[in-house]
Amino acid sequence: MIAPAAARGPLGMGPGPEAIVRAVAGARRQARLRFRLVFVATWIVLVGGLVLLIGSTGRVDLEFLQKWGPFIFGGIPLTIAVSVVSIALAVVFAIVGALGRLSRNAPVYAAATLYVSLVRGTPLIVQIFFVYLALPEFGIVLPAFIAGCLALSFNYGAYMTEIFRAGIQAIPRGQVEAAASLGMTERHTMRRIVLPQAIRIVIPAIGNEFIAMIKDSALVSFVALQELFWRARTVGSANFQSFSTLVLAALVYWGLTIFFSLFQERLEKRMAESDVRL
Amino acid sequence: MSVRGRLSILAAAAVIVAACSSGGATPSASSAAASQPAAAGSESAAPSSAASAAPIAGGLLEKILKAGKLVVSTDPKYPPQSELEPDGTYKGFDIDVATEIAKRLGVTVEFTTPDWTAITAGGWGGRWDISVGSMTITVDRKKVLDFSPPYYYTPAQMAASTHSGITTMDGLAGKTICSGESTTYDQWLNGKLDYGTGQDLGHPPAGIKTVTLPTDTDCPDQWKSKRFDFDGWLSSITTVDGAIKAGLPVVKIGDPVYYEPLAVAVDKSGPPDTDFLPILTKIVNDMHSDGTLTALSVKTYGSDFTIASK
Repeated sequence: MIAPAAARGPLGMGPGPEAIVRAVAGARRQARLRFRLVFVATWIVLVGGLVLLIGSTGRVDLEFLQKWGPFIFGGIPLTIAVSVVSIALAVVFAIVGALGRLSRNAPVYAAATLYVSLVRGTPLIVQIFFVYLALPEFGIVLPAFIAGCLALSFNYGAYMTEIFRAGIQAIPRGQVEAAASLGMTERHTMRRIVLPQAIRIVIPAIGNEFIAMIKDSALVSFVALQELFWRARTVGSANFQSFSTLVLAALVYWGLTIFFSLFQERLEKRMAESDVRL
Repeated sequence: MSVRGRLSILAAAAVIVAACSSGGATPSASSAAASQPAAAGSESAAPSSAASAAPIAGGLLEKILKAGKLVVSTDPKYPPQSELEPDGTYKGFDIDVATEIAKRLGVTVEFTTPDWTAITAGGWGGRWDISVGSMTITVDRKKVLDFSPPYYYTPAQMAASTHSGITTMDGLAGKTICSGESTTYDQWLNGKLDYGTGQDLGHPPAGIKTVTLPTDTDCPDQWKSKRFDFDGWLSSITTVDGAIKAGLPVVKIGDPVYYEPLAVAVDKSGPPDTDFLPILTKIVNDMHSDGTLTALSVKTYGSDFTIASK
């Protein structure tokens, strides 16, 4: 596109403004296309290299994986179920936690702060142990699935408390004042004005946490839940094929996170729609 | 989602938690221990000596019969005692024994797969009824678990990686030896294994260091991955043979180091088991005398491990 414009010669009138715009747009499009091509090529080279590297160990037994694949894949629904239930419960914990962290009531603020501090200050695996093994000492015997989800959501809820707090604080103060001048109570304002907007702000962040949750759900394998990681680990250990089964599990987790990341991206765009200038 | 919708989720969660805590309160840890003598006392008509013990209210036997199923913990990382089939069912010697016990109780069997360390530690919270997991009876475990008579006896076998070049017990002196977490093998290597019978179990090689991995088979699997952080491995002879058969770089070192009485375990902090233990004992003894255990042992191992040796 540039060439014909330049070929008009030094004494010509030169390209018009429209031609310049078109030329620039074309150049940009080409650059973008080149970037994409190189991106894809690099991925192919790197992933191919990784596959060759893992294959070169000779430890990935495809025949074995063919036999056990269906059983290991059978753990995927439980992995997703644990992640979905946990993230839903975590949102509840996070909203309560965030409201507590923003409260002007000292005991409520103290309790919320303690929750965040305690949970963020102890390892997730210890919390799972606690819910599964220590709670029965107090007469609370939760089924494995609920114990696992409760521990995961309790943990994630603490981290997400800060996300929700930021989301709530991002709502301009003027809106709260406007609501107050209309005679709305503080609670009403929170429910009708602040929270609905805050949710919109934090939804992409929740999506992110969900993707992290898919991976951390492997930790509930300890509490007798036969999810993806438990199956890969047990089958691998019993048959001295841990390398094969763990590579397979890693691939599945990766695939799952890529799959849910696509949703996450669309969600992010959808949520940002009202901020885009037309 | 509306605000009301979110609040209803919170309410639902609260209901779930409340329901679970009230449901779990009956077979709870501390209250069950306290109520055990009381429950036995109130059912004074039930003879404690007769093997045909009647179920006591709130007892383990009543719980099992009422549920119509026996929930058994198993660790399917431990072939040939317990392992998975590709269709998700279980097989192995422990699985066969558990299935037979349930059959003789007249109930169905159900397996659950908690971590081995959670089984040996007691405090099961009533999540499963018994462990049929080749568990050695030791003084420490007796503090938290009740045991049936042994249903078989396996030799503990020392092994080494072929990479180490070690072929004798003395060759392991000063080396690092691997075993599974919370196993009697780890206890023996650290000189802490005690059956409470005064039996001399021998001594590990001099100056050894020990390391544990989540389960026994992880030790030779590390050698297969060309990690040689340790040279020795102590486990059941059945597991060592399994590893050698699977083509792992393992050699047996010397004769079996000691023999283990392996039994069915019941949680002491669970529902009172005074009604259940006599029946369990009778079933295990019957399975010995009518040749069932011998047949199962020969089927899995090719030899009879059900007779006490040494």
